[in-house]
Amino acid sequence: MSMDRRSFIKLTAVTGGATAIAACTTSNPENQLIRFVPDEDLTPGIAEIKNGVCPICRAGCGTTVRVMQGDAEVIRNGQHGVMTMSLAKKLEGNPSHPISQGALCPRGQASIQATYHPDRLIQPLKRRGARGSGDYQPITWDAAIAELVTQLDNIAGSGPQGLAVLTRPGASSRHDLFALFLEKFGAQAPIAYELFGDDVLRRASAISFGREQVPTFDFANARAVISFGADFLGTWGSPVSQMAGYAKMRGGRPGIRGTLIQVEPRMSLTGASADEWVAIKPGTEAVLAFGLANALGAKGLAQYTPAEVEKQTGVKAARVERLAAMLAEMKPAVAIIAGAPLAQVNGLSQALAVNVLNTTLGAIGAPGGLSFTPYVAPKRGARSLQTLASDVLSGKGTPVQALLIDGANPVHSTPPGWKVKDALAKIPFIASFGSFADDTSVMADLILPDHSALESWTDSRPESGTTKAIVSVAGPAMKPLHDTRATSDVLLDVAKKLKKPLAGMPDSFDAMLQASVGGDEPWGIATKQGWVEVKSGTRDSGLGTRSGSPEPRGASKPLPFTAAFDGEPGQYPFYFLPFSSQAFLDGSTAHLPWLQEMPDPMSTAMWSTWVEINPQTASKLGIGDADMVEIASAHGSIHAPALISPGIAPDVIAMPTGQGHETFTRYASGRGSNPVKVLAPVVEPETGALAWAATRVKVTRIGEPKGELIRYGGALREFEHHRG
Amino acid sequence: MSDYSTTLTNDLLRPLIQTSWRFWLLVVLLLGVVSLGIGAFAYQVNQGIGVWGLNWPVFWAFDITNFVFWIGISHAGTLISAILRLVNAEWRRPVTRCAEVITVFALMIGAMFPIVHLGRPWLFFWLMPYPTERQIWPNFRSPLVWDFFAISTYLTGSSLFLFLPTIPDFALVRDKTTGWRHRFYAILALGWTGTTKQWHRLESAMQIMAIAIVPVAVSVHTIVSFDFSMAPVPMWHSTIFGPYFVAGAIFSGIAALIIAMAALRKFLHLEKYLHPVHFENLGKLLLMMSLLWGYFVFAERLTTWYGNEPSEMTTFWQTQRLSFAPLYWTMVTVNFILPVTILSFKKLRTITGCVIASFGVVLGMWLERFLIIVPTLSHKYLSYSWGSYRPRTPEILLLVATFGAMVLFYVLFSKLVPIISIWEMKIGQHPQLAHEHQTADEASTMWRTQP
Amino acid sequence: MSHRWGMVVDLDTCTGCEACVVACHAENNIATAGPDEAARGRAMHWLRVERYWEGEYPEAKLKFRPVLCQQCDAAPCESVCPTYASHHTDEGLNAQVYNRCIGTRYCANACPYNVRFFNFFNPTWDKPLNLQFNPDVSVREVGVMEKCTFCVQRIKAAEITADAEKRELKDGELKPACAQSCPATAIVFGDLNDPESKVSQLYGSGRGEKLLEEVGAQPKIVYLKRQATA
Repeated sequence: MSMDRRSFIKLTAVTGGATAIAACTTSNPENQLIRFVPDEDLTPGIAEIKNGVCPICRAGCGTTVRVMQGDAEVIRNGQHGVMTMSLAKKLEGNPSHPISQGALCPRGQASIQATYHPDRLIQPLKRRGARGSGDYQPITWDAAIAELVTQLDNIAGSGPQGLAVLTRPGASSRHDLFALFLEKFGAQAPIAYELFGDDVLRRASAISFGREQVPTFDFANARAVISFGADFLGTWGSPVSQMAGYAKMRGGRPGIRGTLIQVEPRMSLTGASADEWVAIKPGTEAVLAFGLANALGAKGLAQYTPAEVEKQTGVKAARVERLAAMLAEMKPAVAIIAGAPLAQVNGLSQALAVNVLNTTLGAIGAPGGLSFTPYVAPKRGARSLQTLASDVLSGKGTPVQALLIDGANPVHSTPPGWKVKDALAKIPFIASFGSFADDTSVMADLILPDHSALESWTDSRPESGTTKAIVSVAGPAMKPLHDTRATSDVLLDVAKKLKKPLAGMPDSFDAMLQASVGGDEPWGIATKQGWVEVKSGTRDSGLGTRSGSPEPRGASKPLPFTAAFDGEPGQYPFYFLPFSSQAFLDGSTAHLPWLQEMPDPMSTAMWSTWVEINPQTASKLGIGDADMVEIASAHGSIHAPALISPGIAPDVIAMPTGQGHETFTRYASGRGSNPVKVLAPVVEPETGALAWAATRVKVTRIGEPKGELIRYGGALREFEHHRG
Repeated sequence: MSDYSTTLTNDLLRPLIQTSWRFWLLVVLLLGVVSLGIGAFAYQVNQGIGVWGLNWPVFWAFDITNFVFWIGISHAGTLISAILRLVNAEWRRPVTRCAEVITVFALMIGAMFPIVHLGRPWLFFWLMPYPTERQIWPNFRSPLVWDFFAISTYLTGSSLFLFLPTIPDFALVRDKTTGWRHRFYAILALGWTGTTKQWHRLESAMQIMAIAIVPVAVSVHTIVSFDFSMAPVPMWHSTIFGPYFVAGAIFSGIAALIIAMAALRKFLHLEKYLHPVHFENLGKLLLMMSLLWGYFVFAERLTTWYGNEPSEMTTFWQTQRLSFAPLYWTMVTVNFILPVTILSFKKLRTITGCVIASFGVVLGMWLERFLIIVPTLSHKYLSYSWGSYRPRTPEILLLVATFGAMVLFYVLFSKLVPIISIWEMKIGQHPQLAHEHQTADEASTMWRTQP
Repeated sequence: MSHRWGMVVDLDTCTGCEACVVACHAENNIATAGPDEAARGRAMHWLRVERYWEGEYPEAKLKFRPVLCQQCDAAPCESVCPTYASHHTDEGLNAQVYNRCIGTRYCANACPYNVRFFNFFNPTWDKPLNLQFNPDVSVREVGVMEKCTFCVQRIKAAEITADAEKRELKDGELKPACAQSCPATAIVFGDLNDPESKVSQLYGSGRGEKLLEEVGAQPKIVYLKRQATA
């Protein structure tokens, strides 16, 4: 093991003294720990406020980090000891940041626990036992980097598909660095996968408005918002900025209170705040959108009369008329669609229909409507994850020799029909940069754990949630707690050490960050306030609009307009709706104990999974509160406790995602059930996005409550003094 | 007369002199039960109250139920001893000490619970007013601090009330024994020689104590009831609680006394002294208290139901029809229906009948305390915060141990002190015991309630 | 100028997201009970978002209401605490002095709002989660009650800073963790003694009402009612 001279001197200086102290027997075990020399200037009791960027979702909220001195038990050079160091204590929203505006969502607040997690991977690991067994042995960084270099050297020149990178969607310099690395290596761009991706929405924006991007909504100036399944106040999009806009919509204008209409078959968190909640038949949102557009004067949609809309969607004709009247009267009005309505085979048509509605409402590029953040989309891999998996299993094309996993957990969040785990098993070499052993990273042969976000340079280029082109960027708020390394530094290191070193790589990650904001002056602003507006010419500030037309243009083939569900209705009578849970989203935050214990706002459940069932349906099936039920599709089955909810349609069954990890730290491993495991591998044909709302299931009661549904709340209703 | 006197003395001193193996077996068994409770308490002090079933929002359950229950039982002595003494009811004579003993030991057990239930029981003395370096007194507005004063006063008073009339008996035993017993009882007898002056002083002291102890007893359980009625939560904040609790306490006390007397009569062979008529009289008192209890419950329930205040009605229906209904109606059955049925008919008002009714009442009164505490705490105003409660093993062990402790104390006491007051029996109006078995008429003539 | 701290919660903008709930845990070193203890009802959410359903499908409605210690001016918990662990400060707060608490739990029973929590066990944190502790807030031990303090540590820190800088506290300068984190700015905190403060202005709103006002505890928090479509 190599060590530079300075650290060697420091260590021995302390050890020498410590050995003398340790020689005295005391009863306090801490005295027997070496006290390392701190390598930073610290003032006890005085807090410093540093900037940060929340890493949890793609919103890219700017944060502030309260940092104070503390004593941490750490391992340095294999020795246990105590180090006085700066410790991040609390995250807040950065008050000046255009997206977070001084606030932070519950997941952002909890993200600090990832840094201090007891099951965090604290050093590089090499697989010792069988794949998936979790049996690893610790190795040094030098050995780990050498191993990765060797593996990459072996496959250099094997073709563009030999090396693959799997990551989460989101635009950032980190992502750009991966893309650059792959480009220089001669491989394809990273494959970005997430369960609740917005590819369908992006494609619809590209077709209708020339922007392959999620729109930004100006709720603050809207008089009416009609949301088709978009949980924009909970889990979708840029929740913090959307909530801020919503708050202004309600109370920011004297005498004016905007109206929210939510259209969905299961009440989401956003739906709970709606003034009007409209239950709709799953997959028919486009019909309602066209019906409203027609009533508001759009051309070419004459067949979508209120009666026809009622027939297809279940929404009463009179209500359709009333909603249209509301939208006509309350100007400006805007429509938004996201989530389950787009996770259908007809998802693209659904989104396009709402684009038509928005055009009819005059919402495009107008105050109170939608616009697009100036933004450059990250490079996308030519293959989707589904295609990668099927190619690996079928042996089609050049085999994938090496896979690098960065922050994605597809083993947990892909349907069984994609056989991702089987495909991973066939890939000769897998390395993971993640900080935790999860269902996917436990398949890795080599683990090179990243710093946590608070310990490294982090950045994000938000795709939506603001009208400005900004980069959120912040340096480390604290020194690394463990023997981890910034993945960006590892990549740069590996690039240099390859037999054929990669040319044209940046000197350092912060040099790359500095370039990404456009030079010294914006960098100075960015490092001071945690974000900076970029005015570079490469940013596309214009908005290409098309006049709203009912016929989707630009699609490669005719798009399905009607939803189709997997599973014979006779055998599988219910629409299955997995929904992004407020605590865990797709499951990537299930390892954080604050979020496990946070009572789900609607069900009050903690540490649990549940299945939401309509009261009449439940009584027909003989299902009582918290009874164990089996949810089965043609592709899989799971068990979970039932929760009887007044906010769900009788033919819909809903389940939150996020639990059901086989491996994901002590707090989430083996807990609850994963609804993704019953999903059919249906995709939206144009984008290949998983149509996760297109599966039908059957429900059977299998037993009495088993104590698996832990709830914080007592009664369902406020005044419940019924007579029994 | 001396025959009677001698027989009386011998009979009542026999338990002190003779000990059978059954006594030791019983003591060992009871010590076992009590040590389970001590073990449970040690476990709880070591781990935390979390080993119980308490939770948010049910922060009191078995602990305070036991507290109120045992303080309630302690009201037996006061009524029987003090009130009957004051009205010169002769039939009280064989019964007074049994009753006073119940009071002292039940109080001691009950008074443990304010310590046992604390989250940090090692700091229990902060409830006492003493000059501390923290420079604050206890909060005298708190009913818990009132509890401290009330219970310590009552405990002091009842201990005195118990001890004073034992002095002549201790002197008797002192004079009749040798060896360690002689020395032991000599200490306790405080040099009693039986002079007229001493008798006079004793009678005066007894009279003062009898008068003083009655308001103390009434205030104690009223103050205990204030633990609930001072909190503005549904079905606690009720003006009826003071008298209701006192009545309930006397009720449970009499029941406990009947059971204790029946046990003593059987196991110490005191059939000559504890007659069916004693049980009949106590049975009549129990009947009266049952009716009084029923009246209070009815008045409280009717007022609540008629008022129809939403949050109160929630708690109300929990006991009448919902989760607590089985316990509630059991309580009504064993506290009211059963005792009233048995005790209203002379034919049924036998010793056995009274004992059955009394067991029912003891169960019923424990349930009553439980049903005052838990339904309210689990159903306060904000329905999101409603909860539920299930007892766990340490709480159940503690409860069982309190009964074990009560019986153990009683058994030990009756081993060391004559359980029936010998001198009072002798001084009684009709000291002549003609023959062993009396007819009911003879007995009622002898033990008539008028002076 | 003496302060009187108050709070207004706008139920029309509150979305029920529970950022406030998690922020409170982070700020105040609240222990995580874990699944077994949470199942036994020992989770400690000083601030909870109550949810109530109304009506039936498809007209069902859901409403949210954040409930935290109301810092009552006639607090039932204060009169019943035998050791003055629960007492009123001259800034209108209900203080919980952990060192005085012997855990009778009477305060929790007397509280009409059920906002008081008890440490049933010694709280534990899987290391190194304890490194996140806020050094300005005591970690409580077994047997002691705890509840929302309006982030008194932040109040004190701000008052000390303002004092040192020889100036008054500015409205909005000081926020408890919940108010600071709320993305919908539904929680407004400030000095009721300052008529210009936002909280004072909202306090008199026609939409305002207090929770369980009829119980008479004189709660400090005003809830702005949710409105209908305007």
